[in-house]
Amino acid sequence: MKKQEVISKSKKKEIKVHSLGRVEGDLDVKVTIEDGVVVDAWTEATMFRGFEMILKGKDPQAGLIVTPRICGICGGSHLTKAVYALDTAWNTEVPPNATLIRNIGQAVETLQSIPRWFYALFAIGLTHQNYASSRLYDEVVRRWAPFEGEHYEIGVTVSAKPVEIYAIFGGQWPHSSFMVPGGVVSAPTLSDVTRSISILEYFRENWLEKILLGSSIERWLENKTWEDVLAWLDEKPEHRNSALGLFIRYSMEIGLAKYGAGPGRYLAVGNFFHSQKYRYPTIEGRNAALFARSGVFDGEEYHDFDQSRIREDHTHSFYRGSGSLHPFEGVTDPIDPVEGQKEGKYTFAKAPRYDLPGVGEISLEVGPLARQVIAGRPGAEEWQDYDPLFLNIIKEVGPNALVRVLARLHEAAKYYLRVREWLKQIDLNEKFYIKPTELPEGRGFGATEAARGALADWIEIKDGKIENYQVVTPTAWNISPRDRFGKRGPIETAMIGVPIRDPENPVELAHIAQSYDSCLVCTVHAYDAKSHKELAKYEVVKF
Amino acid sequence: MTVIIGCGNLLRSDDGAGPMLIRKLWELGVPPGVRLADGGTAGMDVAFQIGDAEELILVDVCETGAEPGTIYELPGEEVETPPLKDVNLHDFRWDNAIALGRWLLKSRFPKKVTVFLIEAENLSHGFGLSSTVEAAIERLANELLQRLGGIVSET
Repeated sequence: MKKQEVISKSKKKEIKVHSLGRVEGDLDVKVTIEDGVVVDAWTEATMFRGFEMILKGKDPQAGLIVTPRICGICGGSHLTKAVYALDTAWNTEVPPNATLIRNIGQAVETLQSIPRWFYALFAIGLTHQNYASSRLYDEVVRRWAPFEGEHYEIGVTVSAKPVEIYAIFGGQWPHSSFMVPGGVVSAPTLSDVTRSISILEYFRENWLEKILLGSSIERWLENKTWEDVLAWLDEKPEHRNSALGLFIRYSMEIGLAKYGAGPGRYLAVGNFFHSQKYRYPTIEGRNAALFARSGVFDGEEYHDFDQSRIREDHTHSFYRGSGSLHPFEGVTDPIDPVEGQKEGKYTFAKAPRYDLPGVGEISLEVGPLARQVIAGRPGAEEWQDYDPLFLNIIKEVGPNALVRVLARLHEAAKYYLRVREWLKQIDLNEKFYIKPTELPEGRGFGATEAARGALADWIEIKDGKIENYQVVTPTAWNISPRDRFGKRGPIETAMIGVPIRDPENPVELAHIAQSYDSCLVCTVHAYDAKSHKELAKYEVVKF
Repeated sequence: MTVIIGCGNLLRSDDGAGPMLIRKLWELGVPPGVRLADGGTAGMDVAFQIGDAEELILVDVCETGAEPGTIYELPGEEVETPPLKDVNLHDFRWDNAIALGRWLLKSRFPKKVTVFLIEAENLSHGFGLSSTVEAAIERLANELLQRLGGIVSET
């Protein structure tokens, strides 16, 4: 290389650097406010999401490389469902060790996300000056103020630990492609397993028990009802003063328990497989092999999850025409937003819906709260996760922004225990991969639970190439727009009825948007319902 | 130790130059004491990759209007982007990560940070580099290996 081709620039100049992160782009939430209360809301994804088009015609395994790059913060979850989509399409055999390692990878990515999301995204909003009159405000600022709070730094630092375990098995995190049809490409040693255990213990000792819970994991998990949680708070000063204790007390004081309910209907596609019961992955056999179960809760009753009942409605989305298709029939045919707006379309996000027997297509909330509500369904097998706490909480106090955040923090304790158990079960003398036959035709479905909710791929293979590939993300479920019946999506629903203390500074709306942790940079725009004048624009982490 | 991190999104054509350069260096083989990392689009994690490194080299693409394939070399301080208070976790880039790393790692922050930017030709949705950017990462890979004392390929 000739030296002169390297241009050294020392003087300041406007240079647009990239890392064009999320393919989905930004999210605008528009709300109209009347007499201090939100009366209507629209979620608008402002950028086109085109990876389905990128994948068309590619090698079937391209999804393993491409989909982990859809998101810069949950690539491992994308990899997990992409590999199961191929496993089911190719009828592979997956050795138990590989299932354990896939489970571990999926779980540690979510573990990583919990402190990072809480400190770097959610708790920042709690230090907002609007709450300065709260008795607990000074303590909240002392702990959670960005870059200065006592626990902010440890929270951000510790968030890097769980994914060190991912890197041990997956080579790297983020953007790993180590899960392949028929298993995983890692061949761990005993020291890899013991190192992983010590990293996990570091996470537990330095953050999970010491800072988050202020109690042992086991003691926290004894809580089965909202009443138990309140009793736990009063049991010891360590409980009251833990991050979880402070968060609950403060949220009740500043009103987080009073708004942001959402649709009150939930979907979990389930997560983590029993290593023996899913050796031969099929779409039909999936539900019965899940450790954390799948299901739909319609507010009254539980229903079995059936992927064939999922639809994507694009009546109000910037795609040609209207209608509601199952992802196997899914079409991604974008149109100019200016044209779309003439037809009443307002977003690039499609509207995922679930066709509930006897009811029809409904929007469903996904995410940690959805998972924990589904975990409360009676009738679990002895080896499956059964946890009635959040079913009780939504019945006792209803869903709200506090409960949604609490569900996510609760999962830190559960996921720690699972990873610890799976690490123990790895048999270093057994296989991690069984080479599959690459079938030229087939259909596959793979799904998992990313930190922020249900995530699934549908793949159709024809002549050894991808004929159709559709990804339905948790963000799509939660930020979905209205459907052809005019019914709002979950975040749109959660915004309705929210009391806004200061319309110039609608921090309440930011809390709701953040409680869903949509995978997009989110901006809330508030309008006055009568004058249609913009009252405020609120970027969710800006002060 | 020197850490080289390639940043960018493989789904946006030339924006994938950083990760593609890391693969190229991996294939060519780097000398001892050099660690490679694919930073992808996960900004915050760039900061965690650099603890205890003497030197950090970041590679990404840029858009300045120059000839596609032009390679810029900048001192890290020039492109570091504090303050961090306005940064969203979901929109966190490596220029924020340098600032985060300086705050988080303190004395463990690399003494020297160098950023290489490659002028992009095509940033549309899609997979694969344009031929000019492909040639640029080839040149940059050889330049880096030469500087780090590695074996340079005959091209």
